[in-house]
Amino acid sequence: MRGSRAQRALVGLTLVGAIACAGRPEIEVEDLDGRVVRPLASATDRAVVLLFTATDCPISDRYAPEVRRLAGEYAPQGVRFFLVYADAASRPEAIRQHVSDFGYDLRALRDPAHTLVRLTGATVTPEAVVFASDKGGTRLAYRGRIDDWYEDFGRARAAPTTHELADSLDAVLAGRRVEVPRTTAIGCFIPGAS
Amino acid sequence: MLASMPTCHREGKEVTFNEHVAPIVLRNCAVCHRPGEAGPFSLLTYADVRKRARQIARVTARRYMPPWLPAPGYGDFVGTRRLSDAEIALLQRWAEGGAPEGGPAHRPVPPSFPPGVWALGPPDLVLEMAEPYSLRAEGPDDFRNFVLPVPVTRTRYVRAIDILPGDKRIVHHANVLVDRTGASRRRDAQEPGPGFSGMDLLIESDRFEPHSHFLFWKPGTPPQVEGPGMAWAIEPGTDLVLNMHLFPSGKPKRVQAAVGLYFTDEAPSEHPMLIQLENDRALDIPPGVDDFVVTDDLPLPLDVDLLGVYPHAHYLGRDLRGFATLPDGQRRWLVWIKDWDLNWQGVFRYRTPLFLPRGTKLSMRYTYDNSAANLRNPHNPPRRVVAGNRSADEMAHLWVQLRPHGGPRSRLLLQEALMRHRLELYPTEYSSHFNLAAALQSLGRQEGAIAHYRQALEIEPGSSTARNALGTVYVEQHRLALARGEFQRVLEQEPDHVQARYNLARVWLARGDLRRAERELSVVLEHEPDDLESLYTLGSVLAREGRLAEAVVPYEHALRLAPEDADTHNTLGQIFAMQGQLRSAERHFASALRMDPGHDEAREGLARIRSRRAANR
Repeated sequence: MRGSRAQRALVGLTLVGAIACAGRPEIEVEDLDGRVVRPLASATDRAVVLLFTATDCPISDRYAPEVRRLAGEYAPQGVRFFLVYADAASRPEAIRQHVSDFGYDLRALRDPAHTLVRLTGATVTPEAVVFASDKGGTRLAYRGRIDDWYEDFGRARAAPTTHELADSLDAVLAGRRVEVPRTTAIGCFIPGAS
Repeated sequence: MLASMPTCHREGKEVTFNEHVAPIVLRNCAVCHRPGEAGPFSLLTYADVRKRARQIARVTARRYMPPWLPAPGYGDFVGTRRLSDAEIALLQRWAEGGAPEGGPAHRPVPPSFPPGVWALGPPDLVLEMAEPYSLRAEGPDDFRNFVLPVPVTRTRYVRAIDILPGDKRIVHHANVLVDRTGASRRRDAQEPGPGFSGMDLLIESDRFEPHSHFLFWKPGTPPQVEGPGMAWAIEPGTDLVLNMHLFPSGKPKRVQAAVGLYFTDEAPSEHPMLIQLENDRALDIPPGVDDFVVTDDLPLPLDVDLLGVYPHAHYLGRDLRGFATLPDGQRRWLVWIKDWDLNWQGVFRYRTPLFLPRGTKLSMRYTYDNSAANLRNPHNPPRRVVAGNRSADEMAHLWVQLRPHGGPRSRLLLQEALMRHRLELYPTEYSSHFNLAAALQSLGRQEGAIAHYRQALEIEPGSSTARNALGTVYVEQHRLALARGEFQRVLEQEPDHVQARYNLARVWLARGDLRRAERELSVVLEHEPDDLESLYTLGSVLAREGRLAEAVVPYEHALRLAPEDADTHNTLGQIFAMQGQLRSAERHFASALRMDPGHDEAREGLARIRSRRAANR
């Protein structure tokens, strides 16, 4: 896509900034009611997971039970999960319906301007991004697939054999380095993301 | 025209939605990707397609979409949904070029689809699941069977069947099986909740009535309307069994499917058959083996036209081939699937029936991959896998629909060949002995029939079905004592076996024992008061006993059930005439002649009555 190179460079800069400065990024997006949310600003979270999803992506949908399970497991340990709907065309009512249909008990954010998309480099849904927080600030610790259930469109394992999102959270919570910090997520391309 | 496009567009000219992409997408994708259909999102407008441009480029380049398993050049099938290399190249260039819309001059005409949920219009009869089935949000795919009783009161001929699977986005495919035995009903009753589980369904039938049509639904495929003479019969008491492949979608779903039947008054004159190449017995796949081959070969005893194929394996199947070797050694491909994917299995019908002469050998050759490298392997780490009905088991089936040349006898000859072939593989299989015996009986080869019914009974000594059938061969041979012995033995073990009791009554009747015949028929009619054969037989027994007033009762009952039957009218005419009730006799003879002007007995009866009445005047 034309212009994608420039965009990618921008993403790189943002990330380098986030990691190098290790502050608490004052990233602002809105929730479904139009309230401003700073998902990375909380001083009490040990980690933040941005789970990029969509109202019309079957792979994302099939992951809903697993996402709910992971959120239920890690929330008590200080991990905050957000659903991020990054398709500018998705209206808040449709998102609300989707959240309710799939039984999500998570806060949903809209990212029509792709603030979070650019910050994280997410390209598809579902894709998970883990930010680790400590005294020094917030850094991007993991970006990629939830697990290896899907290898490609239409090529799914009977059950996943690796669990990268859970592994990265375990590492962050234990103060360890995330062994596989980047993986390729399989899913629906976020419209307009590069 | 499309094939020449890459050269036209290689340099310079912009690939646009309106001019290039819309024709491809609207023709190949929109049939499923539109509201209410199986595709998870619509691909109807520029906005729809632009949003997915990158994804469309990716999935078409990998030929994941549109889904179509047969390799090109190995069978010419109806409804082939496969993009050309040139079309795929255009989609790539469009996505890479920023997915422009293009000028309005080429703006596409939106496709029109038939309105309403039924593609063929409102069906003559709709069968719905009695209650919805709850599909869980996640976990392995669910293979479930739902029994749908068919409330017809007389034999109907089905020219088309359509399946509304409910939410099409959670259904990969659906198969309809015809159960005339009630076996599926009984199985359903044993499992809690609607339906019962199982990937492949085998319905044992005690009649030679091969399930002769593919009744199959997969996304985006219009229902098959059978050609002239190709309808199939459905009788009262029949169940349809809807066998569905459901996949969890992330949230619980309710499944409530419906089947629509379209009738015709035209009785079938063509009799296609479904036959199965298979070798499940050979399926014993060690873990780690990635090239396990299973074959089956069936010589054809007569000329046939091949109408369609339905290859079937589970998750370990990789390369599925079907071919025919002609008597001169030439090979004709039936189908070749090089990257089998259970999710997109289907029935593939030939554009033109494929003629195969007698002496052709039908073959299947399936390769299985039970290594860890097979992504779809249900076991991790791989385990030994054998044949079975669960999705983690395997299968090696190639269903073939064919039309034997020659009359009804040719079907029996083919059935005989099939069953003899099966018995080579499975010498102790009850159903094959039984089916072979039934075919031989229909062919008039009674000694062979007796031998195989007896072998079936050695394998399953308690089978009332086989024992009753054996008795009927003895009846055909007029060996009435032997016949009586078999029917009585059936009734000892199963007093409610109505067929055996009716047959026993016929034996008594043939031996002139009218009392016993009458007693057995009365018991049959207690169970099945509307059984026409029993009513006719009881009437004739009573008439032969001289109990004319009583004999009228079953015949009149039969007449209420089948008012158009000239023979019943004639018989009643004879009985009334014997009783001297000339007015009633005349009325029935006249009715018989109205229904069948060539009915000689009725004409003579009527003439006699009229001369008697003239003499009386």
